[in-house]
Amino acid sequence: MNTKLIISKISKIYPGCIANDKVSLEFGSGKIYALLGENGAGKSTLVKILSGVVKPDEGEVFLNNENIKLNSPLDAKKNNIGMVFQHFNLFETLSVFENLSIDSSKKNEELRLQVNDILKKYNFKIDLDIPVLNLSAGQKQKVEIIRCLIRNPKVLIMDEPTSVLTEQETDDLFVSLKKFSQEGILIIYITHKLKEVLSLCDEVAVMRKGKVVSVSSTNEEKIESLANKMVGENLSTIKKKINNFKNSEEILKISNLNFISDDPYETNLINLNFSLKKGECLGIAGISGNGQSELFQILSGEIITESTSIMFRQKEISKLNPRERREYLMAFSPEDRISQAAVPELKIYENVALNNFKSSNFFEKGLVNEKKIKEHSKKILSNFSVNTDNVELKSQFLSGGNLQKLIIGRELITSPELLVCFNPTWGLDVGAINYIHETLININEQGKSSIVISTDNDELLRLSDRICVIYKGKLSKIMDASTVTPEKLGILMGGGSID
Amino acid sequence: MEALLIKVEKRNDVSPSIYFLTPILAIFLTLIGGAIIFYVLGFNPIEALKFFFVTPISDLYGLSELLVKATPLCLIAIGLSFCFKSNNWNIGAEGQLIFGGIVGGGVALLFYGHDGFYVLPIIILSGAIGGMIFALIPAILKTYFNTNEILVSLMLVYVAKLLLDYLVVGPWSNPEGFNFPETRQFSESARMPILFDGLRIHAGIFITLATVFLSWLILYKTYLGFQIKVSGLSLKTAKYAGYKGKTMIIIVFIISGACAGLAGVGEITGPIGQLHRNISPDYGFTAIIVAFLGRLNPVGIIFASLVVALTYLGAETAQIFLQVPKYTGQVFQGMILFFLLGSDYLLFFKIKFLGLRKNEL
Repeated sequence: MNTKLIISKISKIYPGCIANDKVSLEFGSGKIYALLGENGAGKSTLVKILSGVVKPDEGEVFLNNENIKLNSPLDAKKNNIGMVFQHFNLFETLSVFENLSIDSSKKNEELRLQVNDILKKYNFKIDLDIPVLNLSAGQKQKVEIIRCLIRNPKVLIMDEPTSVLTEQETDDLFVSLKKFSQEGILIIYITHKLKEVLSLCDEVAVMRKGKVVSVSSTNEEKIESLANKMVGENLSTIKKKINNFKNSEEILKISNLNFISDDPYETNLINLNFSLKKGECLGIAGISGNGQSELFQILSGEIITESTSIMFRQKEISKLNPRERREYLMAFSPEDRISQAAVPELKIYENVALNNFKSSNFFEKGLVNEKKIKEHSKKILSNFSVNTDNVELKSQFLSGGNLQKLIIGRELITSPELLVCFNPTWGLDVGAINYIHETLININEQGKSSIVISTDNDELLRLSDRICVIYKGKLSKIMDASTVTPEKLGILMGGGSID
Repeated sequence: MEALLIKVEKRNDVSPSIYFLTPILAIFLTLIGGAIIFYVLGFNPIEALKFFFVTPISDLYGLSELLVKATPLCLIAIGLSFCFKSNNWNIGAEGQLIFGGIVGGGVALLFYGHDGFYVLPIIILSGAIGGMIFALIPAILKTYFNTNEILVSLMLVYVAKLLLDYLVVGPWSNPEGFNFPETRQFSESARMPILFDGLRIHAGIFITLATVFLSWLILYKTYLGFQIKVSGLSLKTAKYAGYKGKTMIIIVFIISGACAGLAGVGEITGPIGQLHRNISPDYGFTAIIVAFLGRLNPVGIIFASLVVALTYLGAETAQIFLQVPKYTGQVFQGMILFFLLGSDYLLFFKIKFLGLRKNEL
């Protein structure tokens, strides 16, 4: 099977932004192609055009020299273009097989035979008759891949497939993808992770601001060269100093942290104990859904538990709510910046007022002191280089990076002794990530402590002094960051053990 | 197999001016809908609408009646806006109104024959407290037992109605009343002062106006108002900011119950002057429409209450001149809500027709 896919001068313009600007690319089967770019570079739009979700304003797509019209996802399926999105489209409560049979026209018996063949051929181990909600993220992704394979795809597009996977699952995936490629399936791999491009792909196209800026073979590239192409400037990265905290004062001590939830979709936390020194950064790694969100809420005071003891600067604060904890100089930056850390419909200064600490005088005698809040907001906008000085702007109009700078700024401008943050750079572009990381390293150097809960191991290795892993609500032993490797983290994140 | 593909997408750029103009569009559509109904019934639609919406307020007495009806509607709706803004669905304002009426009426009967400037304020205050207490029931059940406030507050309406029924038939019925289901007429000292001779408009309107001003102050200028706003937009954010969710639920229910109770006591000490079975023509339910038509905004609610009050008056005029049942008024109220929700849907979402397509799976 020889497949040739040509994209010719595709343009897509959204109000206020050119998502794709005359993009032309050629792909041939037998190779794995990477499409690399920051968030907002136009990768997703291009993928949506190829999968029929979005119609281009201009340009054509040729599959084996035939001009194909992709007006809907059905057209993409008809032309044997398969797509695995970053977020899974599976019915959680239906069984694996039911999920596969929903959009198949084949008879059940026939389909089951075919699926079993696929399972055997690629050595996938999935029970077809258990509900999807019992599967791990890696298994769910395999179900999505099987769903594409059933249709004998000529082209398989993977959109940021490793963001939810462990190191081991990622390795598995890469083995499968290479196999598909050898069988003649054309693979387009969308990512912003540079290492993956180099280890998996044969060719790489870099996109920036809607344009293709470079197409090259991966053996001509290095991480630095790709990063610079992606960002379009030479990045300087600051490195964290290695510190010894043996003689530092202990600032936080958590003992006996237990949490049993009534909600089956939440994770129970089992006997967590840890402590933190002044100026130290503790990184907590793990695949999402292993109790991170519950742990964050207990640290912030959104969830109050009976047995837990939280000693912060020699005071017991476990029964205090988030506002009261802020009075003791704690600060929190939750994972969900759009619907929790800020309200998109509120103006910037109103979002700043959410962090109402006592000395702020935002609300004197119960009345809103708008002038004070606005002055304070202006200070945050300029100190944390948010890309606007209009405090009346609704925060929904801020980009992800600017919103996160605003939130981190709001939390840090009160000089807290401890910042707890959860996936602080999730979904941000390289520039913003770098800025947030520098900010977090800076506060440690000023003697303030931080806890970073993150699913991004590179981030944790860069920021943390000590690292542990959360798996199914339990914490691994806490290790010095200098002794930790991504492989070690991967094993712990998948539930394995190391000595 | 063929299917018409329809896609509904959220709009992100709703301009505030259109947001406040859609209620006017809804009223306009209601008029058109009303004209069609009258036409089908065999009336000249223009004439009929004139009887409905112009005749009732073409003299001074009519205008006064409009304000008499708008006074409780506006008051209740203002109270409800506190609940609705913070995502608490208090549907039982009618019950809180009746219970406020019962408590206020009870106190009025206690002061039967007393003179003194202090009588009326005490009655009004006790009415407000009555409404408050009745609203506290769903609030406490919600905060401590996780019950659904919609069901509890709605069911309590019937409890209040039956209690009122029992009282006016039984223990509180007028000893000289020939077993009519009503209490004595309250003493002069227990009545709202009438503003103009010969008209029914009473001092209750000042309570309403004061409440509107106070609500505006609370909602837009205080920390409490800010917390209500944030909780309404995102409960997750409110929790993260550390607002005391339970306390806030109790506070908004207390405010809205007090307003409904005030409306109830205003009715019985104002136009009615006694307790009987029907002290409210469903003001508590209609006020829900008023609150949403006024966009939960104090000023908007004033205008909305006038429009909806007119449907009450129009229904009465139409009954007299066109011999249609006065429930036509409720048809109009229903239409207003229908068109408002309909245009809101189109305001916040856009519908895309993707055309007919063959399903080949």
